[in-house]
Amino acid sequence: MTVAVGTDALADVEGVAFGYPLPDGRRRDVLRSVDLTLTRGDLVALVGTNGSGKTTLLRLLTGVLRPDAGAVRFDGRPVGDWRRPELARRVAVLPQQLDLPAGFRVAELVEMGRAPHARRLFASTEADARAVSRALADAGALELADRYAEELSGGERQRLLVAMALAQEPDLLLLDEPTLHLDLAHQVALLAAIRHLRDQRGLTVLAVLHDLNLAAAFAPRVAVLDEGRIVADGPPGEVLTPDLVRRVFGVAVDEARTADGRRHLALHEV
Amino acid sequence: MRATATAPATTRSISIGPSLTRVTVVLGGGAILLLSAVVVAVAIGSVGVGLGDTVAILGHRLLGLPLGRTIAPGAESIIFDVRLPRVLTAMLVGGGLAVAGTVFQALLRNPMADPYIIGTAAGASLGAIAGLMAPILVPALAIGVGSSWLGLGLVQVLAFGGGLATVLLVYAVSRANGRVPVVTLLLTGYAVSSVLAAGVALLMFFSGQHLGAIFGWLMGSLAAAKWVNLAFAAPLLVISSALLIVRWRGLNLLLLGDGPAAHLGIDVEREKLVLTMLATLATSTVVAISGTIGFVGLVVPHVLRLALGPDHRLLLPASVLYGATLLALADLGARLAGGIPVGIVTALIGAPFFIWLLRRSRTVRVVVTP
Amino acid sequence: MAPRLRLPSTLVILAALLLGACAPAGSGSPSATVPSASSAPSAPAHSVYPLTLTDDAGREVTISAAPARIVSLVPSNTEIVCALDACDDLVGVTDFDDYPAQVADVAEVVIGAVVDVEKVIAADPDLILAAGNEATSTAVIDQLTDLGYPVLALYPQDLQGVYDDIALVGEAIDAQGTAEELVTSLKAREAAVVAAVAGAERPRTFYEVGVFEGSIYTAGKDSFLASLISLAGGEPILGDAASTAIQLEDLISADPELILLGDASYDASVTVESIAARSGWSDMTAVREGRIVIVLEDLVITRPGPRIVDGLEALARAIHPELFP
Repeated sequence: MTVAVGTDALADVEGVAFGYPLPDGRRRDVLRSVDLTLTRGDLVALVGTNGSGKTTLLRLLTGVLRPDAGAVRFDGRPVGDWRRPELARRVAVLPQQLDLPAGFRVAELVEMGRAPHARRLFASTEADARAVSRALADAGALELADRYAEELSGGERQRLLVAMALAQEPDLLLLDEPTLHLDLAHQVALLAAIRHLRDQRGLTVLAVLHDLNLAAAFAPRVAVLDEGRIVADGPPGEVLTPDLVRRVFGVAVDEARTADGRRHLALHEV
Repeated sequence: MRATATAPATTRSISIGPSLTRVTVVLGGGAILLLSAVVVAVAIGSVGVGLGDTVAILGHRLLGLPLGRTIAPGAESIIFDVRLPRVLTAMLVGGGLAVAGTVFQALLRNPMADPYIIGTAAGASLGAIAGLMAPILVPALAIGVGSSWLGLGLVQVLAFGGGLATVLLVYAVSRANGRVPVVTLLLTGYAVSSVLAAGVALLMFFSGQHLGAIFGWLMGSLAAAKWVNLAFAAPLLVISSALLIVRWRGLNLLLLGDGPAAHLGIDVEREKLVLTMLATLATSTVVAISGTIGFVGLVVPHVLRLALGPDHRLLLPASVLYGATLLALADLGARLAGGIPVGIVTALIGAPFFIWLLRRSRTVRVVVTP
Repeated sequence: MAPRLRLPSTLVILAALLLGACAPAGSGSPSATVPSASSAPSAPAHSVYPLTLTDDAGREVTISAAPARIVSLVPSNTEIVCALDACDDLVGVTDFDDYPAQVADVAEVVIGAVVDVEKVIAADPDLILAAGNEATSTAVIDQLTDLGYPVLALYPQDLQGVYDDIALVGEAIDAQGTAEELVTSLKAREAAVVAAVAGAERPRTFYEVGVFEGSIYTAGKDSFLASLISLAGGEPILGDAASTAIQLEDLISADPELILLGDASYDASVTVESIAARSGWSDMTAVREGRIVIVLEDLVITRPGPRIVDGLEALARAIHPELFP
């Protein structure tokens, strides 16, 4: 299912297939033919079962992986044509998990996000300091600036990762299961902050989420990845139907309405 | 170095990068310390040569100044032919080992990494011992006890080549699908080192009266320092250290993991290859001229990391300066203690200091996995 | 042509003789060689400098003038120098040097078997006598050679080797006459020993160099010590050529008839009784018959210098006490 390509398509994936090479020479096919277009200002949640290729799709978007077939383009140009630092100035990834080097302070780690913009051999510039400052503020992590990374709690660590990604001053922000290690309140807070940033800064956001309700509440557009293809792409109300959930996730759910009319999915008793 | 900005919506100012004061103190202080250590190490030895005479001789031979005083016979030779090359070698070796150790610890994300870990020591040792024993095993190769190529001995050339070749082999074996995962590199290095070490042991078994010379080489020593070795080693070490120092950003980012580093614009595989090769070049050069001196490459990076923090921007140049100082002074101690191998001195003094430092901080992890 | 030139050539020879005699003494000026053209009894040759010699390691060493300041890096070399009456020329010795007594006053340049290059330089030598076979490390010899010093490495592997080294040092320091006399007298004493033990029964002889942690060390195959025992009239039981060790079972099966305790020279706990007490040793012929001899002269038996023949004589006395009352 393809959304019409507008003139301000920021990233688009067309007919992409990808398989991971196995030790015995065969390939494990993950993506068969994926079509997805992100226009500026989009806020899209990507959902699917485990192993459906969500993380793979993100890595294809950043050029870390090359597709076996089809094309991945950023700002009109194939991703493979971009020089790595050039692309890193436009696209940032919030990874599922990150090894945090011991002994660095939060501000120093966020500064690592400035690497693609680095101009001087050794010095840090005013522009860098401002970007770091702003990233920390936007991520709600200002008060963490002098803390050591290894001392942070799960929620604080997540805010650090957000700040690191924002320090790149990207146009496109890719989030890989950002809510995995967070409790509910933090999950909501994080996604609210991302949404706020999208509204404020004009970021384009693609977030891989595993929680369907959260996806529906957070993003105005949901794309569903199943068996290596995008099988649904549109507003959550249209996409996340009980029928699709049963087909893709193998779980029976009912659609329900809250008192103020919002729809949500309810599990049958387990 | 330092840049500051005031965050919007608060009056909080965020500073990034080390301040000029800090850089001056750490690097400037390090340079002064190194210079003092060199002067002290050249002035002191088992034969007393007064400080005034020392300075006069150095000025005369290095700057062409007239001597201006009568000095004891042999003093000039002692200072310029024996001590100065030895102290300069200690400097270069200490700096090279420290910077290579820092790079490998970050690259391999492993606090136990030292410059020899992916096979340099084993390969260089095999080469050196083959060089020591070749003129005996194959008399046709004994072109003269002082056989040399460009003034370098067969031992030096084979040690240098052996170290480089081994790392290239380990790298090639670890490569899969165009990637070299760090854990594979470590394990392959260990395996190849073990095989080569067995070869070394075998040669040692058959070495007869040369066992002492082989053992001395394995312990590492600066006693055979000479100007011709310095002429070969100094440019290699200076260039590789300089090229490593400017790559501090890549090293910081690699600590985050291959994926995140790639997303921040680093060509991860290329960066790993360049860093590995530069650090191996430095290590092989060091081993060729001084044997396998241990401890410096493992502990100096940790001590500096504990004192200065893990940011490679400051850590790399500091490791060169303080590593050089450490070994120059350790070698002075080794000379005064009767010519014992310098690796023993570094271990005896460095280990307790390192333990004390460890107890003060909580941990020496390089990365914290969530 | 030849007969008519005989008078002028004799005049030339005489002139050379006179010039040679009038040359100023002291370092740097070569002394004229006395030609051996006449049938006069051979006078001791003088060394002509600059002089190029080949040492025991095969190196060509050039000595530019008669040495007056000699450094010895191993005790056997020190003894050679002193035996050639040049003891006063020594300016550097080792901390192991103990003979003759006057070397105690000479500066030590080798401490704990480590050559202190700075001290060697400070001694300002014009000849250095090193040991071969890595007893002085090749690296040090190279370093000293690179610094410009003539270094002779001596490594005698048998008695003839010692005699050759004495002659070599004699040539190096212009003491060839003294060297010849010394070698002649040593050879005579050697011949006397060999003659005395000729025809006597040759007992299977085990010379104990040391026993450490279960390893037994003795004369190795083809070693200097083995050749001395043989000359002294014994049949040496041999250890491994490289390590000089012998396994206990090999020693038992070799069944020595005579045991010489060389380590008794250094270790008071090594006694006749202590040997009998060792497990596995009591069945050896030597132990059963009580032919165990304490040897106190191990130093001269194993130091390859001029006193080596003292060692040979000591061995002969130990092996054949009945021939040397």
